[in-house]
Amino acid sequence: MKKVKVLFIHLLLIIGVIITTYPLLRIFSVSIRPGDRIFSTDLSIIPQNATFLSYLKLFKETYFIKWIFNSLIITFATSFIGVILAATAAYAFSRYKFVGRKIGLLMLLFTQMIPAGMLILPLYLMIMKLNLINTYLGMIIAYSVSSLPFSIWILKGYYDTIPRSLEEAAKVDGTSDIGAFYKIILPLSKPALSIAFLFNFTMAWNEYLVARVVLYNPERYTWTLGLFELQGQFITQWGMFAAGSIIITIPVLILFFYTSKYLVSGLTLGSVKG
Amino acid sequence: MNIDYISAIGEVGVFVIFVILSVVFIEFFLYLHFKLHKLKQLIIIFLLSTIIFIIIAKCLGIFTIKTFIYLVLIEFITCFISYKLNGKNYIPYLLVAPAFIGLALLLLYPFAFEIYLSFTDLKLTTIFKWKDTGHIDFVWFKNYINVFKLSPLSETTFFDLFLRTLLWTFSNVFFHVLGGFILALLLIETKKMKGIYRTFLVIPWAMPQVVAVLALRGEFHSQYGFINILLNKLSEISPFLSKLGVGPVNWLSDHPLLTCTLINIWLGIPFMMVVILGGLQSISQSYYDAASIDGAGYIQKIKYITLPLIKPVLLPAITLGTIWTFNNINVIYLVTGQAGGTERADILVSALYKAAFVYNRYSYSAAFAMIVFLILFIITMIYSKTMSAKHEEL
Repeated sequence: MKKVKVLFIHLLLIIGVIITTYPLLRIFSVSIRPGDRIFSTDLSIIPQNATFLSYLKLFKETYFIKWIFNSLIITFATSFIGVILAATAAYAFSRYKFVGRKIGLLMLLFTQMIPAGMLILPLYLMIMKLNLINTYLGMIIAYSVSSLPFSIWILKGYYDTIPRSLEEAAKVDGTSDIGAFYKIILPLSKPALSIAFLFNFTMAWNEYLVARVVLYNPERYTWTLGLFELQGQFITQWGMFAAGSIIITIPVLILFFYTSKYLVSGLTLGSVKG
Repeated sequence: MNIDYISAIGEVGVFVIFVILSVVFIEFFLYLHFKLHKLKQLIIIFLLSTIIFIIIAKCLGIFTIKTFIYLVLIEFITCFISYKLNGKNYIPYLLVAPAFIGLALLLLYPFAFEIYLSFTDLKLTTIFKWKDTGHIDFVWFKNYINVFKLSPLSETTFFDLFLRTLLWTFSNVFFHVLGGFILALLLIETKKMKGIYRTFLVIPWAMPQVVAVLALRGEFHSQYGFINILLNKLSEISPFLSKLGVGPVNWLSDHPLLTCTLINIWLGIPFMMVVILGGLQSISQSYYDAASIDGAGYIQKIKYITLPLIKPVLLPAITLGTIWTFNNINVIYLVTGQAGGTERADILVSALYKAAFVYNRYSYSAAFAMIVFLILFIITMIYSKTMSAKHEEL
């Protein structure tokens, strides 16, 4: 009886795994189909005459490398700015009592309630007014603070777990407030900083809706726009779309599984260890 | 080609350095004010910085009355805060300032701008005039009335959208929690291979959403999509099923909302699964053992032990999930956003986006956005009120 139950559980889980992984396998199988069989009702994962032609075509005929480059440069700049701003602000909220602290924290919560889709329009108009349409700077400006409140919350939570005695000891030894933050707290909170960085990074990396309205020149597209164009054209570039998807997805999956352990331990423990 | 990349890096690098320099400048500016906090010193600083500003602005040629008033106002406020602080405990303000200036400029100002916009008449025909001269006509509440009178898109009315949003949010969150709960229960029962299953099951969450949605959209294609191929084969294999009506369906054109919902359910289950699994792992086995001794069955154990104990993790996750689903433009826009795409799947937020950027009705969309914001605000308020009331009961 027990064995039947265990078998049943495994069976259900395997069905679940098939449902979650099959679409990914399908993309892979489409990406290695030869050109004349892109549209077929074939269900096998490795098609006959499998080739990597779609990948070659993707690099040759589209701006795919440029798209990835654009995404990377925008994403790195926004995450960098976001983490710098969040790190100091979170420290103030964690360690100091000051007039306006409560209002500040409430304001952070309030910003989380504004639907993201709602701010796209005024941001777009502002960027237009500044003549930054179709530029990297316009994108960076639009992205840079969107995950700031969340980063501040994460970092504040982490700082709260670091004992105050560490800074007090440093101050006894003659460091200033800022020095204690810079020399003691920042090195200790590397895990939380990298999580905040990653959070900013994935947000900007996967963003589509702002990019859709700010960028219009195919050379300036981010990869999300590029893939949408490949998939959305009247005669769908199905093979190239699949190839691009695989190239984007694999590193993201690896990064996700590598950091998910780190994320759990980094957020829950927050110990005195470095 | 290479020069292109280098110039791009240069452009962005210069901008990042500019941001850092302006942070440093803000810090220096505030530090100076907070240090010299006596009334006399402040008056001297106030006058000096005003004069310096006028000189700089005249040299750069950007001197206007408007910027002058703004800067004097900022200067005055800083002096006032500094006077109030009296040189004590100013460090937190230095630390918080850059982030809050960023938030004020890029979150609160756009929000205020959107409110202003909702009372004006900005559309495709007036936008260039606005861009060049900054002039827009005021129409007061006309846009707000039009939201209810005219369709935000081409034919769907506001109330259709509202009902559809409720349906969409409820069905998605329900199936996310149900699916996540079942998978988490299955996972916690397994001893072997738990990690491997877990890894594969969170793939929909780990994948970039754009890739996942676009790929699944392809799988719902009426001819070459995996789902219709499967349905086709099923109906060929057994005549009984085909009599029941199992066969290919025009997913994207006939049932767009159902398609979007199915895609979003696929996307959202793993998050709930991970959250619920975390809650389940914290429940001690001894509760179940005690219940077994008392003769409780599996369903009873879930109802009286598991559900009450995972409530603290489940409720915030459901709240977040509800807000996320309510605000989910991505899935619906990616599925139906192409030229000639249907509007029968649109919910409030995606209609908002389309009204602004497909139909170019900017002011209308701003008024619409304010109404959607109010709806979300009221829902969250009611929700958190009832939740906190329930929490006290427990």
